[in-house]
Amino acid sequence: MASTELIDNTILKSQILSKDPVFWQNLAERTRQTSDFSEVSVLSTFRRKALSKGFLPAQEARTKIKLAVIGGCTFHPLSDLILHFLFVNGYDCELWMGDYDNYIWEVMDHSSGLYSFNPDFVLLIPPVWRYRYSGKLTDPQSLVEEEISRNCKDILDLCNRINTGCGAEVILCNFILPCYHDPGSIRTRTLASEWNSLKSLNMQIGLQAPNYVSICDLEFLAARTGGLRARDDRGWFETKQPFSTDFAVHAANEIMHTIQAAKAPAKKVLVIDLDETLWGGIIGDDGLNGIEIGSSSPRGECFKEFQRIIKNLQERGILLAVCSKNELENALAPFEKHPEMHLRRDDFVSFQANWNPKADNMAQIAAELNLSMDSFVFVDDNPAEIEMVRQFAPAVSGICLGADPSFFIRLLKDSRFFEPRNITEEDLVRSQQYKNDEKRMGLLTSSTDINTYLESLQMVAYANDFHPIDVPRLAQLINKSNQFNLTTHRRTESEVTELIGSDQVALSFRLTDRFGDLGIISIVIAKVVEEILEIDTWLMSCRVLKRQMEHVVLNELMTRAAQLNCRKVKGVYIPTSKNQMVKDFYTNMGFAVTSSETDQTEYELITSKFEPFSTKISVIRGSNDKS
Amino acid sequence: MTKAEVLAKLQDVFDSTFVETVIVTEELSANDVEEWDSLSHITLIVSVEKSFGIRFGLGEVESTRNVGELADLIVKKVGAA
Repeated sequence: MASTELIDNTILKSQILSKDPVFWQNLAERTRQTSDFSEVSVLSTFRRKALSKGFLPAQEARTKIKLAVIGGCTFHPLSDLILHFLFVNGYDCELWMGDYDNYIWEVMDHSSGLYSFNPDFVLLIPPVWRYRYSGKLTDPQSLVEEEISRNCKDILDLCNRINTGCGAEVILCNFILPCYHDPGSIRTRTLASEWNSLKSLNMQIGLQAPNYVSICDLEFLAARTGGLRARDDRGWFETKQPFSTDFAVHAANEIMHTIQAAKAPAKKVLVIDLDETLWGGIIGDDGLNGIEIGSSSPRGECFKEFQRIIKNLQERGILLAVCSKNELENALAPFEKHPEMHLRRDDFVSFQANWNPKADNMAQIAAELNLSMDSFVFVDDNPAEIEMVRQFAPAVSGICLGADPSFFIRLLKDSRFFEPRNITEEDLVRSQQYKNDEKRMGLLTSSTDINTYLESLQMVAYANDFHPIDVPRLAQLINKSNQFNLTTHRRTESEVTELIGSDQVALSFRLTDRFGDLGIISIVIAKVVEEILEIDTWLMSCRVLKRQMEHVVLNELMTRAAQLNCRKVKGVYIPTSKNQMVKDFYTNMGFAVTSSETDQTEYELITSKFEPFSTKISVIRGSNDKS
Repeated sequence: MTKAEVLAKLQDVFDSTFVETVIVTEELSANDVEEWDSLSHITLIVSVEKSFGIRFGLGEVESTRNVGELADLIVKKVGAA
């Protein structure tokens, strides 16, 4: 163990000296594989050594963020760990640290360094001593409840002030529960015990926190990694360390993960193998009665439980697809006929059972769902299949389940691919929406004339100015849409909120048809600059391509342009690796090119010359105003 | 473990903690190393504890004035362990 580590470190050192770009890959890989504080510290030193020599990683796909850290403890070495984890995951983080236990003043005083730093994220670590229950174990419950509510309100109030003061998202650490035996079993029988009162405070914070607050759930993290090991009393009394050094690694990782979740899209589709993944055995060889599924054997129970977990994901809005080397008829049989199966054919939005390479099937699923493959996670028991997909469809993330089905659930649940940031109502019905898409496709193939088809959909679009109730979904669309997205400008929920009631044009479009409500599927944001309406953002969910929705959006936008006395509307296309689909969009919509560079093309459309498109969609304006 | 062995091992720990090259001597102290501030001190001490398999008591490290005295402390701790 020690000697391989030494060799690795020696190699890393020589890679710094020769400025070998593979150093950064190795550094990231080593960082991912450890949770040991000293090890991460060494890697962090390597990182700083390389940077001090002017040796940087490749700059594409790196994101700059500004993080402020405030709270009632010292922030080093936690802050350095956070910087390190962010760095190896592609984030160049500028850091501002508040003074020890000065956070209340820093938040309250708008002339404090916190606000002049203008952070994107503020990490708030409240000290437990200020919020633990101060009364007696025997105090009446109502008294304890009152203090807990007051503490919860105090903390969330600070978050609110931060958010209104600088628009930053807040990452709020909750409290590690004290793992001492005292006061014994009475601990659970009174709300006044430190254990119960902090647990209750944590829960209230979580339930009441608004969407601009992400909870860094230290209570959970300490339960997972060991409560006794989470804190270090010597570290607290000597240098006001909030955590033990090893727990600081877990916390820093979690904070990095929270920032990543706010910035990068989550996965949308789980693509699943069948034989030895959803049941034991080979359906083609063993037949319906031969496969292991259900309570007849321990292995069968594992597979059944694994199916239940997958079903839960589906109920949370994750789309399921099958990708299996099988005869279709064999593959379908368990879903249709086996009584022990949790999953049924209807749970899947795409079902690929054939003998094609799995990477090809992934592409087929992507085409059917109109989603790009980087939103896919593929699970298979067979490492060779995982490797094959990794090579030929590298955008897909793989989870190799291996041979022992008792590990499957943990592998899936600890993969962290499917963590919703904020649960929006639309997430819950999305899966149903895609099922309806399948029906729509069926309708399309059976009707010859596209106009007849569109008319038969009975589409209604609701055009609205941005509304507070829609903010989570709007931010989600802005941060998740890659393909039909002209500029790929991302915005946090706070930035979206700022647009409400501003002088910018910020329109959302909801679409319904006779199969259901597709939710908000398009957004356009534009601002008036000297009688010109400049489009900053135009995006659309690919689920509504070819539905004339973009025509509705342009009609609305041009109406606004006329109302605002704008002579023309300007648009820009900024190419990315994913938005080739809209390369010629503005031209197709009747805009003229005004300048063309490799990194962007600019267009304009004269307001007076615009002829509204006729569409098969009826439009209702301002429906949100009534809600 | 002799003091010389401890100092040699400390050199490894210093190498992986500081970006600048620091030569470990008995007289060396935090004042001689620009990077050695109260922040990197925490990292340094945890690394020392890990690599020698010891744990310092409250205030023990603070009472040492240079690396030589730190090495004495480590020799004592390793002997006791």
